[in-house]
Amino acid sequence: MEEARNMKAPHSEATQDSATVSAKDTRNTGPGRLLIAVYAVFAISATARAGYQILTKFSEAPLAYLLSAFAAFVYLVATVSLAKAGRTWFRVSLVAVLVELVGVVVVGALSVFDPVAFPHETVWSLFGRGYAFIPLLLPILGLVWLYRRRPGQRPAGEQD
Amino acid sequence: MDAFFYIILVVGLLSSGICLVAGILKKAPNDVTILSVAAVELALIVYLVGSIVRVVAGEPIAGEAWEFWGYLATAMLLPPAAVYWAILERTRWSNFVLAAVGVTALVMAARMNQIWY
Repeated sequence: MEEARNMKAPHSEATQDSATVSAKDTRNTGPGRLLIAVYAVFAISATARAGYQILTKFSEAPLAYLLSAFAAFVYLVATVSLAKAGRTWFRVSLVAVLVELVGVVVVGALSVFDPVAFPHETVWSLFGRGYAFIPLLLPILGLVWLYRRRPGQRPAGEQD
Repeated sequence: MDAFFYIILVVGLLSSGICLVAGILKKAPNDVTILSVAAVELALIVYLVGSIVRVVAGEPIAGEAWEFWGYLATAMLLPPAAVYWAILERTRWSNFVLAAVGVTALVMAARMNQIWY
């Protein structure tokens, strides 16, 4: 995994990082594995749902279905980046999880206060009520996990 | 909701419960938790075979047929994927990953029932 990262890292700074980064700069261990698994399930289901909506009834609600596709993309990026080691992937994870949090809060609020404009369901509608509110919980847990495993920190000894 | 759904309901909840308790007890994935997830896969195979028999016998699927089969195929990929992901790192957390399988399969089976009827 570390080798693959070196090849992909475009900046020399990042390459230097990876030389000094220990194997500890990962987020795919311990509770992170559960987080990644749940993100993966959401990435698959959101992608399938958005694909289905766009292929069969796109003209009904283009905005809502494009939003579904965007949500699916965010889940996909979060899943992959959380599974990868190194500082660059940490930043990608952070951006993806923050976008997800903003998305679920904004779309959730809009769908509550202006249901006329959001009549069609997306993953984030009503704060993810259709998915047991996991879409709202997930970015919060994601941020907590990213904070605990932020680069340059001694890993807290929470793994068993 | 048909018998296939209830089979997955029982097996899925049992499997999730077993894996959850094992995770809470700080155990790594073992034969019991992995076999419980295998039982979920078996229940899905029963659903698959049963559904093929019903379609061949001439029973129509009310919703989109390809959506139904898509759900079933995806659900069947979950147990092997979770077991693979879990045995790569044998910690208590992997049991929580395994616990997610039964519940997810249950939700997907509910959706499959909605599509069928």
